[in-house]
This record gives sequence, C-alpha cells and structure tokens, in this order.
Amino acid sequence: MVNEEKTPLPRSWSPKDKFNYIGLSNGNLRVHYKGHGKTHKDAASVRATCPIPASCGLYYFEVKIVSKGRDGYMGIGLSAHDVNMNRLPGWDKHSYGYHGDDGHSFCSSGTGLPYGPTFTTGDIIGCGVNLIDNTCFYTKNGHNLGIAFTDLPNNLFPTVGLQTPGEVIDANFGQSPFVFDIEDMMKELRARTKSVIDNFVIPESYGDHQAILHRLVSSYLVHHGYCATAEAFSEGTGQEFEEEISSIKNRQRILKLILAGRMGEAIDLTSRLYPGLLEERQNLHFMLKCRQFIEMVNGSDTEVPPRQIIGHTSVIQSTKPFRNSVNEMNGDNNGSEYLDEEMETEEKNGYVNGLQNGYIQSEPELMKDIGVQYGGVKKLCGGSRPAVERMLDFGRELYNYSQQLFHENGTDESNKKMLQDAFSLLAYSNPWSSPVGWQLDPIQRETVCAQLNSAILESSNLSQKPPLEIAVAHAKELIEIMSRSGLGSCAFANVDDMIKH
Amino acid sequence: MSYTEKPPELSKEQWMSKLESFHALRSDMDKLIMDYLVTEGFKDAAQKFQEESGLTPRIDLNEMDNRIKIRSAIQNGNIQEATLLVNQLHPELLDNDRYLYFHLQQLHLIELIRDGKVEEALHFAQTQLSESGESDPSILNELERTLALLAFDDPSVSPFADLLNMRHRQKVASELNTAILKCEHQESVMPKLYSLVKLILWAEEELAKAKVKFPRMVDLSTAALDDSK
Repeated sequence: MVNEEKTPLPRSWSPKDKFNYIGLSNGNLRVHYKGHGKTHKDAASVRATCPIPASCGLYYFEVKIVSKGRDGYMGIGLSAHDVNMNRLPGWDKHSYGYHGDDGHSFCSSGTGLPYGPTFTTGDIIGCGVNLIDNTCFYTKNGHNLGIAFTDLPNNLFPTVGLQTPGEVIDANFGQSPFVFDIEDMMKELRARTKSVIDNFVIPESYGDHQAILHRLVSSYLVHHGYCATAEAFSEGTGQEFEEEISSIKNRQRILKLILAGRMGEAIDLTSRLYPGLLEERQNLHFMLKCRQFIEMVNGSDTEVPPRQIIGHTSVIQSTKPFRNSVNEMNGDNNGSEYLDEEMETEEKNGYVNGLQNGYIQSEPELMKDIGVQYGGVKKLCGGSRPAVERMLDFGRELYNYSQQLFHENGTDESNKKMLQDAFSLLAYSNPWSSPVGWQLDPIQRETVCAQLNSAILESSNLSQKPPLEIAVAHAKELIEIMSRSGLGSCAFANVDDMIKH
Repeated sequence: MSYTEKPPELSKEQWMSKLESFHALRSDMDKLIMDYLVTEGFKDAAQKFQEESGLTPRIDLNEMDNRIKIRSAIQNGNIQEATLLVNQLHPELLDNDRYLYFHLQQLHLIELIRDGKVEEALHFAQTQLSESGESDPSILNELERTLALLAFDDPSVSPFADLLNMRHRQKVASELNTAILKCEHQESVMPKLYSLVKLILWAEEELAKAKVKFPRMVDLSTAALDDSK
C-alpha cells in the first residue's frame, strides 16, 4: 500500500534527531536516559527517522517499558519535525504525548488531561494514528484506551521522551508481532472506506449510471472484437454500437489469426480489408512481419497445419541446402551493416546446430537423445523442409524490407533490435529454451494484436483504447495523487484489489 | 528537512499520457466484464463471453435462469409476470421492500399508459396504488408524476417522458436484480464495474475537498477528461 521508496515508514529511532541525554542501542530500537534527571529541564526525547506517511492509512507502533527508572516520567507520542527535543512529547505546539506517571494526555500543552491508566515497568503501550480521521489512540497491554487526540496535522514523527535516570524502553515498529490486534482495525477501516465508496451517490450531472456502465461494457466488447457477446449484450440492453457489426467482425477475424500465430494470413487480410493501412504505418508493418518470421520459426505460420510426427523420410538428410541458403542470404546482403556479423555467427555455430538437432534426427541414437530432451514435439518450422525454405526466403525479404526502411527513414533502434532478436532465434539448437526464446511465447502475440487493433481503430476514427481501460488508469492515478497529497483514505481504496477480488 | 504537502501539478496532457501508457491486463479487464454480465443477469451475453474470452464465470450460469426470466419480463414490459415470478422465487422480498414493490407497480402503470389503456390505468392507480402514496410522500410524488403522463396527448414529448424511456425499465430491472441478489447472498452485491465508477467519483471528490488540482473525468461512459484549466 505504501510505496516505501517514495515515502518510507518509520522503522527505528533517529540517532541524529534526539536530545543528547538520550542513548540508543539494539539497532536504534532501545532508548535509555543518561541525563541527571533533576528537573523537567532535563527531559529528553527522540524522534523516529521519518514522519508517518499519510498514504499508509493507519500507523501503529508499540513501546515496552523495560524499566521505569527513578520516577517513571515517560511520554509516548508524536511530534512535528521542528519540536524541541529537550522536552517530553505533548508539551509543545504540534507535539502529543501520553505520560506514564499520571496517565494524562498532553495535547500541545504543559497541562495534561486525564486520559488513561498510568504505566510502568513491564507494560506495553501502543500508539496508533488514524490518517483518515487524523486521530490518535493508545493501547495498554493490548487494550484500546480510546481516542486521545483529534485534528492532527500531517507528517508527525513517532516520538518518545524520558526524564529520570534508569528509564529504558524498547520500541517495536512492526519488527515483531504487536500485542494489540491492529489487523482488526485495518479491516474495519477498509470496510468503512469500501462502504463510503459504494454508497457514494453519483451526481445527476453525470447522467444515469446504468447508461454509463452499459456503454463501458459495450465499447470494451466492441474494441476487443468480442462480437457475439457485444451482440447479445446489445440485445439485452437495447443499446446501439458505435461501430458497424461487420467492421467488428473483420477486426475480430484478424485478431484471432494473430492470436493463433497465423501472421501471414493476418497481414493479408489486413491489407485486403484495410487497404493503405499498413503502407502508411511502415513500422507497424515491419513489426507484423517480424512476428510472422517468429511464427514461421515456431511452426505456427504454416499453410498446412504442422504435422505431429514427421516420418524419417521427410526429414532432411543433409544440412547442405540450408547452408547454401544461408550463404545466399549473406551474399544478397552485401554491404549490410549490422547483419553480416550476425549471420556469420549463426552459420558457424548456432544455425548448423539448430539444423542438426532439428533435422538430422534420422540417426537412431540422436533421435533417442533428442526425443527425451525435447519430447520430440517442437521442431524448427514445424519440422517441414519446404517450411524451412520458406522461412529463409521470408527472412531475406524481411531483411530487405529493413534495409528499405533504413534508407527511407534512417536508423530505428527498436526495429533494428526487433530484427536482431528475431534472427537470433536461428542461432540456437533449441530456440524455445534459448535466451531469445521469449519471442516464441504466445503471450507476445497480445502486444502485436493490441497495436494492430489500435491502428485499425485509429484509421476508422475510433478511440484507440477502450474507455474502460482509460477509466481504470484514471482511477489508479487518482489514488496515486491522493497518496501524494496526504489523504489517508487512499490506503483502503486499492484499485487492483477492487478489480481482482 | 521540509515536507511539502503539495505534489507537483500535472497538466492534462501529462495526465493523459500517463493514462495512455498504462496497460491493463486483458484477463483482469475480462473478469471485470464477466462480473458485470453475471451480476446484472445478462445470461446470453455471459455465455457468449465465456465462449469468446475463454473465461469461466464464477457462478453456474444456469442458476441465473430465474433472475434472467425476471429481468427479461421487465424489459419486455410484462411487469405482472415479473412480479409473479419474484413472489414465487422469494415470497418475502416485495413484502419487505415496499419501495421496490411500488416501483414495479409504477412500471406497470407506465406500461398501461404507454399502451393507451387510460381507464385501466386510472383504475389500477386508484385501487392498487393510492394506498401506498398516502403513507410515503416520495411515493406520492412519483405517483403524481406518472399519472401526469395521462394529461398529455403525446406523453412521449411531455416533461415526464423519461418514465417512458426504455432506460426506466432497465433501471427498475436492475434495482430488482440487486434486491434478489442481496436476498440470496445476504450481502450487498454491486458489480465491480459500478464500484470502479463510484471510486473514481469519490476520489475526485476527496481530492477536490483537499484542493488538489487534477483533470476530472467529465464523461465516464467515454472516459473523457475535463478540458477546462
């Protein structure tokens, strides 16, 4: 809930922010008094290393009285960063404390008010700050003593003050379990915030909430091409679409092809249904083609469905034709700047390996080995020779396209990297388990899918993101800015929790 | 050390670009949609969505049948049929929630007026509805608004035309749906999507109270942000 990088939680006493009659030990958790303790002028306090961030919603720490020392003049509480440390907490402006000798609470004043019982050696005193209501309560040995202070300012530090020799306390900033059940209170605050939100009345100016929700649902379904659902929903609500149903169906066909890895067909269909779209967006086109190459390696982008088991006869007997192809590819690409090197390495180690593992399995021993290792299922390009040749041809075409883009638009780092990553797949005997194997994960299709979808929607003047997703992002930003503005209730209004549970 | 209270102000453009760069997980969003369809009783859509998204709904869709029948009866304007179904399913529901019961009766009255059955409408109002109007001023007000439709030759262009809108049926259908769910689950059941919308408006309100500047979402159905500075 709290981003501790931005707003750390107080977790120990500060060795810098204390009066010099205070000694610290035990990882800055134990505090002892080392002054003379003659009068109240010898009082000494220490603050925690940082203030309590409002975004935590509820903050709690406990102090164990190890020894009450001579008189047990001890105060536990909170203070702002500029409060004098030669005092007990509670005596000054923006300082608040509960004192052990009389059990009084001190609210920015030298005079206390009766609040709770006294406390002494062996007692455990807890101090909690409710950052929604800006109140503070104390606990003694696990019992809540009720609200001590209200209208607290933001950015107070946990503070403890001692005044007579022999006084020692140990703090627990969550390092060990608390005596008081703080979880209960957390739950209560969470439920309270939820009920405040759920009972929030939508102002009339926003219109009918039902209409809002229906449009959010409908536009989401249409955007992602959930066509049948969108139709059924529209029937149920009597709501019209913004986009023609035929157009949604077209998009859905393309997106389905991509998600199935059938990139070639997806690209063809896109060019047919949305002429000019890819020509205008060369980088997108390039990305789709790279994906097609990857799918070819994966064996998903084949005209014939990949065969499960490849008979020995169809397995390529020699690597020669492929070596030729590679050489050819290199030959064609004379003058290329970054690829030659890449291709050479591929040829030397990886590529040949890949072919060996993938294809020269006709030797029975090898077959056995590999069968165990790779389950005998995944083969380069689905294990078909024509498919491998097509893949290599396509690789050449893709390379030429990248050169064309380079000449027309100059270097594009992301395109360059995309191509390198894709070609690197060939350098491994088992591309699926290689360091660049992530590209073969079907989940990668989602990004490609989303980008093409947005482009099609953009070209048809429809919004590129469904309003629902923008609304979720907006909600997250609002909570984030609430957190940075010190509004404690944001701690109990987590957008992810709400969506996921 | 100083602690500034005010976070750096974001321009609308900065805010927008943050929203655009956010990538929502498809599976999370799908769940949000499924939750809505199931909670609100859109069974057909939920079934289609299960096929298209591959997501399994958290309840058996067949259990939705009764709620579906009731919802579609209301959506088709068969209010008496819906009332009958509710009474079979949860005999105590309408007895305990008189306001909801009134809304069903009111809707029936509206349907009679829509069909031009003036005499039947008046008779129904006098025999069935006047009683509930006496006990509750807000019910009386709504009843008066409804009967006022009779005073217009073409009620659909009257100031009370909103009652004749199909949305009004949706509203009552949803109200009844929520009541049935509440009765079956002993807790308030609000679609998460609705909570999300409420959360946005609540957070905006809290921020406005604290005088923090940010772009408001002025149209939630299109997620459009406020343009004014």
